[in-house]
Amino acid sequence: MSVQADRWLLPSAQDYAAVTETVCAPLMDRGPKRSWWLAFGLSLALSAMGAFAIGWSFVEGPGLWGNNSAVVWGFPIANYVWWIGIGNAGTLISSLLLITRQRWRASINRFAEAMTLFAVSMAGIFPILHLGRPMYFYWMAPYPATMGIWPQSRSALVWDFWAIVCYLLFSILFFYVGLVPDLATLRDRPGKLGWRRFYGVLALGWQGSARQWRAHEQTHRMMAVIAVPLVCSVHSIVGLDFAASLMPGWTESIFPPYFVVGALFSGFAMVVLIAASLRRAMSLESVLRPAHFDAMAKVLLAAALVMGLSYATEWFTGWWSGEPAELRLLQQTFDGPYTWLYLLMLACNVLSPQLFWWPAMRTNMKALVGVSLAVLIGMWFERMLILLNTLSFGYEPSFWRLYAPTAVDFMILFGTLGMFALLMLVFSRLFPVVSIYETREVAHEAREAHAA
Amino acid sequence: MSTLAVGSFARQADFAEALARARRTGRSVEGRWSPFPTGGADDTPSGGIGIGIAAVGALAGIAGAGLFYLLEWWTAVIAYPFNAGGRALHSWPAFLVAPVEIGALSAGAAGLVAFLVRGRLTRLHHPAFAIEALERASCDRFVLALRCAPGADARVALALLAGAGAVETRLVTP
Repeated sequence: MSVQADRWLLPSAQDYAAVTETVCAPLMDRGPKRSWWLAFGLSLALSAMGAFAIGWSFVEGPGLWGNNSAVVWGFPIANYVWWIGIGNAGTLISSLLLITRQRWRASINRFAEAMTLFAVSMAGIFPILHLGRPMYFYWMAPYPATMGIWPQSRSALVWDFWAIVCYLLFSILFFYVGLVPDLATLRDRPGKLGWRRFYGVLALGWQGSARQWRAHEQTHRMMAVIAVPLVCSVHSIVGLDFAASLMPGWTESIFPPYFVVGALFSGFAMVVLIAASLRRAMSLESVLRPAHFDAMAKVLLAAALVMGLSYATEWFTGWWSGEPAELRLLQQTFDGPYTWLYLLMLACNVLSPQLFWWPAMRTNMKALVGVSLAVLIGMWFERMLILLNTLSFGYEPSFWRLYAPTAVDFMILFGTLGMFALLMLVFSRLFPVVSIYETREVAHEAREAHAA
Repeated sequence: MSTLAVGSFARQADFAEALARARRTGRSVEGRWSPFPTGGADDTPSGGIGIGIAAVGALAGIAGAGLFYLLEWWTAVIAYPFNAGGRALHSWPAFLVAPVEIGALSAGAAGLVAFLVRGRLTRLHHPAFAIEALERASCDRFVLALRCAPGADARVALALLAGAGAVETRLVTP
């Protein structure tokens, strides 16, 4: 019984005050470590590079990128789909685990939700950049313009606009509602008055009364119930950007669910990576236990199998259709200029997670980090190859053209990685990365189990 | 003038026991605070009245989605009828996408407002904050406040709290 009780929380943290200390001490009591400053400096430098490349693209236009007359959707759209996929996972993980009453969510939901906010923010940059005339992005919003022109709701671009805006705003609300009780904890801890006031204002006067807890539980659960279909719809809409078109390899009904699973897959890989980093950097070994990594590795393994099945379904439907363009695309996929990338993608996404069939690998940090990195790289290749294979080898062979990215493409991609890391680093210093009140509940259950 | 007998508990079981004893003896519970949700009915007099937060969210979601669908229909059919490859002006399947997203956002936003109203939040200076023991309710203590009359009744209330396992008891005059 005691082993089961200690699965999600070390006995040293099975005390309400100890939970508070474990999570809050790295925020307020200790200054940032040298490794934090190093990571901060690196991500700041990458962000500056990305900001420069974005600014340059605003001035010069998309001619700076590798996009050409055939491959009109290059890095910007692949990056958009990749980032929004990562962004989908945080809220999905948090809400699904809340609805299914999985207590272990307490240790991962907070930073997973933060990851969502920052990843979706990164994703939102790319469609605006890709518009070509980004200063007119607000034309997608319905407002009474003097020209009498209204947005076309039949356009996938408008669907994307609403999907990103609504999902980002909803995720902020969901994140904030979950954070309120912990902000009150930070407000009530001894510390500098300025910080206590900062947290006090954000805590909105939370006392932890029975009435407030009841309202909080109802709201949080209601939002979780909405979040699950919302998340699925957002990445389905991204899938529909492709599936609603008339291009070989894209017009497939499997795209929306395939994109949702892909989002969960890459998002979980990012959560594992962030969890491993935070665990080490913030000494959270007592609340981020091997059991958490074991559970996440199992999800990665299951998602890898579904991804493999999805790829096989794509090949089969392409072959079964008998459509010459589909068959040509299939032939180019396995014997074309991008084949090596495709095989690398399959190795990363389908093969590497198979390591998790061995239980020891599911709790081995090096294996977890390695596979998660491979999945993130593989999923980026996947997003890229969906574009490259179809757009390079469309219906008309005389229009076939290969794609080669430019330095600016890479600067923007790595720039957004830097911005994402920068936001996560700042977040980890300002707010509790683990849900304190939910971890207290886990501690309470563990104590009860020990007492029984 | 009534007084509050306030007890702090280190264990949830003791806190629940004190609450049960207070209810058994017919004592009025002024409030209870905890570092995580402990379940049970709300003790405040007006608690539990009105429609639920989920219902507020559902109504707002349906209203938001419906209104946005109407906007799409009006812009595409009345205000700006545009022939896009011969597709129907009222392309209802394509029009469903954005309202689903708007509906979810409306429900979430309404839920947040309902949470603030129901939880009586945004009151940064609540009289309860004057109770010193309450600071630890956001960390590691369960706090119970019982209404009592000064004198003998207060002593009985304090004894009730101590008897249930309170680690600290005190009288507070609001």
